[in-house]
Amino acid sequence: MFNRFSDFDPTFSVFDELRRRMDRVWDDYEEAAPDVAVYASTSWPKVNVLDAGQSLILRADVPGVAEKDFNITLTPETLTLSGERKTTPPEGYSVQRQERPAARFTRSWTLPYKVDAERTTATLKDGVLTISLAKAADAQPRQITVRAQA
Amino acid sequence: MSQINVIRPGSNPNPVERVQKRPPTVTPLVDVFENATEILVWADVPGATLDGIDVHVDKGQLTLFARRADRAAGDAVAKAAPVETEQRTYDYQRVFAVPAGIDATKIEAELSAGVLKVRLPKSEALKPRRIEVKGS
Repeated sequence: MFNRFSDFDPTFSVFDELRRRMDRVWDDYEEAAPDVAVYASTSWPKVNVLDAGQSLILRADVPGVAEKDFNITLTPETLTLSGERKTTPPEGYSVQRQERPAARFTRSWTLPYKVDAERTTATLKDGVLTISLAKAADAQPRQITVRAQA
Repeated sequence: MSQINVIRPGSNPNPVERVQKRPPTVTPLVDVFENATEILVWADVPGATLDGIDVHVDKGQLTLFARRADRAAGDAVAKAAPVETEQRTYDYQRVFAVPAGIDATKIEAELSAGVLKVRLPKSEALKPRRIEVKGS
């Protein structure tokens, strides 16, 4: 009975979406608190997921993080992105306002299909991290031809 | 009796007064630091490029504007179908009130790793001065 996870997935994805929206509500409150310097964040960075036919693309807004500070791990079922973003003020200046969050982040996604780890790339440009996960060959959609039955 | 103009969409034939349509913008988060000689403003603007940055000070207002380059990305990303969108890719704009003593000609800005760092040097009038205490 539990072999068909596809039956349960839509239910869990509804709750995932609810949790994400609730997380976003907390973001508005957390940004106003000046004392919160570092917090374990599930909602920073903001990540957009796109399906490009042959590959799955994740774009994360990660200003202020260097390439070596990311840790991306890929298992057959999940992708995990973690790292740390520090916002240390420069020496000798007083802080008038600090809104940019310092965050130690870990975010995971369950992949909807098999991906080819060899052809997965991650590039960082202008503070945007783009992870491109190429779909495995047998996960590509295939055309099925219809034959008339005599 | 003062005239009250009621604005009804489409009823004003004068195109100058109609609200200009502009691409939507989002407010970037900033850190502001200060010392005796300058004010620093660091803004999170991921996706912005140098040629899309506009920083200027005018009448006591500092305006930061950064155009987000991947809005017009012509690569596979632009044609991909969104599965989950947590952040819309809008341009960045933020306006601050700044003290009148900022020297507008000496503003410097640099962009690295998606963080815009603006340096606003204070003119002499704004720098703190020591007041001598005389004993009697």
